[in-house]
Amino acid sequence: MLSMLRKGEKAIITDISKADELVKRRLLDLGITEGSEVCIKCKMPFGGPFMLESCGQCVGIRKNEASCIKVEGL
Amino acid sequence: MDIALLGNPNTGKTSMFNNLTGSYEYVGNWSGVTVEKKVGIFKQGAAKLIDLPGVYSLNPLSKDEGVVTRFLLDDPFDRMLNIVDASQLERNLHLTLQLIEFGSPLIIGLNMIDVAKNRGIQVDVEKLSSVLGVEVVPVVARTGRGCKDLAEAATTPYRETKKQFQVDYGEEIDKAITKLEQLLQGESSHSTRWLTLQLLEGNPYVKKYLQSYIDMADLDGLIHSTSRAVLAGSEVRTIEQFIYKRRQAAIGEILKETTEVKGNSGQPLSEKIDLIITNKWLGLPIFLCVMYVLFMLTFDWLGFPLSDALDAFISGPITEGISQLLDLVGASKFIHALVLDGIVAGVGGVLVFVPQIFILFFFISILEDSGYMARVALVMDRLMEMVGLNGKAFIPMMIGFGCNVPGIMAARTIETPRERLMTTLLTPLMSCSARLPVYALFVGAFFVHQKALVVLSLYVLGIVVALILAKIFSNTLLRGETSFFVIELPPYRLPQAKALWKSTWEKGKGFVKKAGTFIFAGSVIIWLLSYAGPGGTNVQMDDSFLAMIGGVFAPLLAPLGFGTWQAGASLLTGFLAKEAIISTMNIIYFVPDEAGLQGILANTFSPLSAYSFMVFILLYIPCLATVATIKKETGSYKWTFFSMGYALAIAYILSLIIYQVGQVFGL
Amino acid sequence: MVVNIIIGGAIFGYAGYALWKFISRSKQGKCAACDIKNSCSSNHCNSSK
Repeated sequence: MLSMLRKGEKAIITDISKADELVKRRLLDLGITEGSEVCIKCKMPFGGPFMLESCGQCVGIRKNEASCIKVEGL
Repeated sequence: MDIALLGNPNTGKTSMFNNLTGSYEYVGNWSGVTVEKKVGIFKQGAAKLIDLPGVYSLNPLSKDEGVVTRFLLDDPFDRMLNIVDASQLERNLHLTLQLIEFGSPLIIGLNMIDVAKNRGIQVDVEKLSSVLGVEVVPVVARTGRGCKDLAEAATTPYRETKKQFQVDYGEEIDKAITKLEQLLQGESSHSTRWLTLQLLEGNPYVKKYLQSYIDMADLDGLIHSTSRAVLAGSEVRTIEQFIYKRRQAAIGEILKETTEVKGNSGQPLSEKIDLIITNKWLGLPIFLCVMYVLFMLTFDWLGFPLSDALDAFISGPITEGISQLLDLVGASKFIHALVLDGIVAGVGGVLVFVPQIFILFFFISILEDSGYMARVALVMDRLMEMVGLNGKAFIPMMIGFGCNVPGIMAARTIETPRERLMTTLLTPLMSCSARLPVYALFVGAFFVHQKALVVLSLYVLGIVVALILAKIFSNTLLRGETSFFVIELPPYRLPQAKALWKSTWEKGKGFVKKAGTFIFAGSVIIWLLSYAGPGGTNVQMDDSFLAMIGGVFAPLLAPLGFGTWQAGASLLTGFLAKEAIISTMNIIYFVPDEAGLQGILANTFSPLSAYSFMVFILLYIPCLATVATIKKETGSYKWTFFSMGYALAIAYILSLIIYQVGQVFGL
Repeated sequence: MVVNIIIGGAIFGYAGYALWKFISRSKQGKCAACDIKNSCSSNHCNSSK
């Protein structure tokens, strides 16, 4: 799961189908989908959102949404 | 000629708009600055440029994105100008391909080639142009490099020379296109290929558009049969995804031919800055520090001395000059009083605060331009989630500090209707710049040593009340619908002096303009009401019409600590425009300058009742323009009246508590 | 005396005009505040959608 990654770790998204439809669409708009490489840049405290980096751009996403995205570590 | 400006969010579309048209448009470095389409005239005057909200795809998720699809479907235009971010070419080309499918003449402005170069990406512009079959002009919108060429290319008559690029979606989709062509029987002027693809992707606007020509059942049948045929024997799950993958594959081919990546040049500066600014523990404290510095500068370090100087100038030389001029032409006593006690007091009292308001707007512009706003949304999201909103709702609120109207408009970028409505209803609680003069006046009179801190407490109070109400609303009136939050964090960009100045001026202009029009008129009327009474003209102020009108409210306001007819009358004018409160007070208390007014206020208010009064001003009602905007945005009288009603109730209760509790403690 | 009527007339005339304009503008809401609304072909200004 994406939410299990630690700060600075890189991974490849393997399954995004469990995520909310809107989240999926928005991530797709940003070019993040299955097969994309992501890196956790930082995590906000108290279960706050994550900041991801993927192909040179940064995206903020909530923890519970990140926990619906399966990844494979690199 | 009408040219539509299209592109992804954060590609510099708006700075391009400014460069091309010379007219001003709000530039901000976060998604959703352009919330409604705006039109500018090209510098050469040859064409009109229509700036549309940034979108990632023509299939909209939020209301502001829908503006683009609706525009393409309904409005006439001659040409599309697509701004493409060279450093994010892969993602940007998805929109470009959809625009090519749409079929109107297209020109591409390839922006941020400098950023791309820094990241080791080299784009072969000519190759890209020949592959896409679209003219591509490289530009750097921020510095204006290449903009002349682009303006020329965009306004020269279009010649269709090259064959445009087509994505191969496979046989099944082609069949669907033919089928829709038959169903439409040539009734739509739009490209059938584009309509079919958008329909299959689930674009609600296109579906609605097609329904005016074709039966719902036929459309659904077409979508259903096509998706079954396409998805059979394929591992993708939805037709939307299928289309996306095809486009993605086509883009992959295009990129292979046209770009060269020469290794990464290390960690970009933007990410280094983010290590600190969005740091796990430092994020929130940094945000609070930024806000504190902003208020100290506006109210204490810089703004206050400037306002004082301006005040001295208006009450001194200007009043003096006007008085002598009136004497010279032999004006009567009535005109004398009207001009000096009415207009100079009313308009001058508001103009004094121009420096402070410009400083505030200047800082809001910096926050917007630099890309910090999106980070604020990220930092604030956890807090906003707790009250049933998302971090993005914080951006309209921050903009609301400048003026509530654009703040409410910015709420359109929020994707879910429930959160959008809540943000619209709560943004008026943000203390806008028109309320600032009232605070400045009162803190100057009562809280000289803690000016910025007291004002900051009011801003914070507005936010806290908004958050508490959000929590209450989301548990009662507006339940349901989970919120979601995905936000693009654009790279930091150094704000440019020219853009900053323009953006500050544009925001502050309204304030100055209002002083010359509405405040002027209001001052004349208020003065007349204070000059005349049931007993004739030139009566004692306490016997005037104004005192009668204000007196109606005075008993109601007494428990809050300011049960005077003066307070009642000024609150009434404050509904029209918040800064009118100051004009009214200036006229009522018969003093031409700020210092004099402060002296008189010290006799009628105590520090406690002054604070109670400021809290009431902060919350009591959205101004007329804001109310009209709420009505437009929600489309409902019920919510509009609700927004006024709850504000009044909250303001009354809070002021009551503050005053009564304060008295118990002997303040 | 003439001067008084001229000044007074100008002030009250302008005040009335400004007030009328402000109220009608505010009532229209968002697009009314836009300086380029005359060249804006958008019909979204008039729809409450």
